[in-house]
Amino acid sequence: MLRPTLNELISGMQRTIMDSLLPELTSPYAQGQAMSAIGMLAHAAAVLESAPAYDSAEIKDLRATFAALKRLGDKHISKKSGLRGALARAIRAGAKSPPDRRAMEAAMAAFAAAVALGHAGDGIARHVRGYIRRNLERTRNLLGNSLPSA
Amino acid sequence: MPHAREHRVVGLKRLFGGSSRETYAFDLEWSEGGKTRTRPMIGRRDPTGGLLKTDREREFKVIAAMHRAGLKVPEPLFLELDASVMDRPFFIMHRAPGRTGMGAFPAMEAESTRAKVTDDFLSELARLQSLDYRECGLEILGAPKNPEDPARIQAAHWSEVYERDRMGEHYPILTAAFAWLNANPVVTDRVVIVHGDYRSGNYLYDENGIIAMLDWELAHLGDPMEDLGWASMMFWGRDELAGGLMERETFYRLYEQKTGYRVDRRRLFFYQVLGNAKMAVICLSGICGFVEGRTSDSVMPFLELLIPRLFEDLADQLRLV
Repeated sequence: MLRPTLNELISGMQRTIMDSLLPELTSPYAQGQAMSAIGMLAHAAAVLESAPAYDSAEIKDLRATFAALKRLGDKHISKKSGLRGALARAIRAGAKSPPDRRAMEAAMAAFAAAVALGHAGDGIARHVRGYIRRNLERTRNLLGNSLPSA
Repeated sequence: MPHAREHRVVGLKRLFGGSSRETYAFDLEWSEGGKTRTRPMIGRRDPTGGLLKTDREREFKVIAAMHRAGLKVPEPLFLELDASVMDRPFFIMHRAPGRTGMGAFPAMEAESTRAKVTDDFLSELARLQSLDYRECGLEILGAPKNPEDPARIQAAHWSEVYERDRMGEHYPILTAAFAWLNANPVVTDRVVIVHGDYRSGNYLYDENGIIAMLDWELAHLGDPMEDLGWASMMFWGRDELAGGLMERETFYRLYEQKTGYRVDRRRLFFYQVLGNAKMAVICLSGICGFVEGRTSDSVMPFLELLIPRLFEDLADQLRLV
């Protein structure tokens, strides 16, 4: 293994800022920026650790949701809604190696819009809402649920 | 200051906040009639990149109009559009005293302070919404031609910023929100001056109430429900308190008393959906500026942490969960 590892480098950068740079800074603004940079490095370390699991859970869920939508059959997705094309693109994107996450999210955006506008039937809405609920939970677990006053 | 001589800038320091412009505090000293005078000042300089691209001349003119109209704003003093003076255009205002927060009114403040700030917050909003933009010389903000224009213009504007700054990503909830906003525009009953960021965290206050409303860079002409909806969004509040100030329904009743207008729930809801979408887009714009190297402000990447809450509120509003 190459040393230092990425996480060791990040920890080292945090210590450099804290121990060597910060004591030399006299401007409160610069001190604040340095403290934010330390926080940013901590956030980077956390994201490096959890982002791969987040991404793979997202892709797995998107694939499963689109597969479930496909199983509903064409009678649930009207031709004029444009969702049949979105579904076909999503299935293709999910089958790619590596899967095209952005294309799947673009298709999910079309389905979410249809649900918000009341243009999707109950069956579709149930699957889309299920995905969004799980997506929000994963995002909350990754990034928290902060308000600006916090 | 025609008789002033020997101007000196003293104690210049950069401040946090005001992320769409660099903000500096300093004291201006000068000699006048044989005496040394001092005045606390704020300088706002165009950023190299920041949260939003806004027009500083327009912002300066709005603050000047509000000051002439007697609203609680910092007195605007100088506008310099020539970038050769200080690298980028800037303007100078009087530095008002008082304290501020990031979002919801701080819970640890005295109840009497909270009551005074709440009353001032809605009184100032009522005064702002009672002004005639023509008499204020603010036709420059672009008067909507039809009563359905304000909603359409704002939704289209923030949708455009989303498309520009989403960096190729797709956010299903945000896409759904803009689809809903485009399909459900509301019609205003009157056109007023809209602050555009009227909320807790954007005023200076002390135990006697609000001293000055800040950050007028998003001001435009539009629907009065826009500022009310933004100010009372869950995002800027705490629990059931709008802006951390007052229980939401009581807040709306007090608004009605002060303005003499009913709160239109349908329009209010539209502007709260727009508000959550707009704030999420503002966060994405800050992140985009940081990622693309237009700003090095280390606060920008932390905007990501605010997005989950906005998405959760949007998902609730649009029945996506």
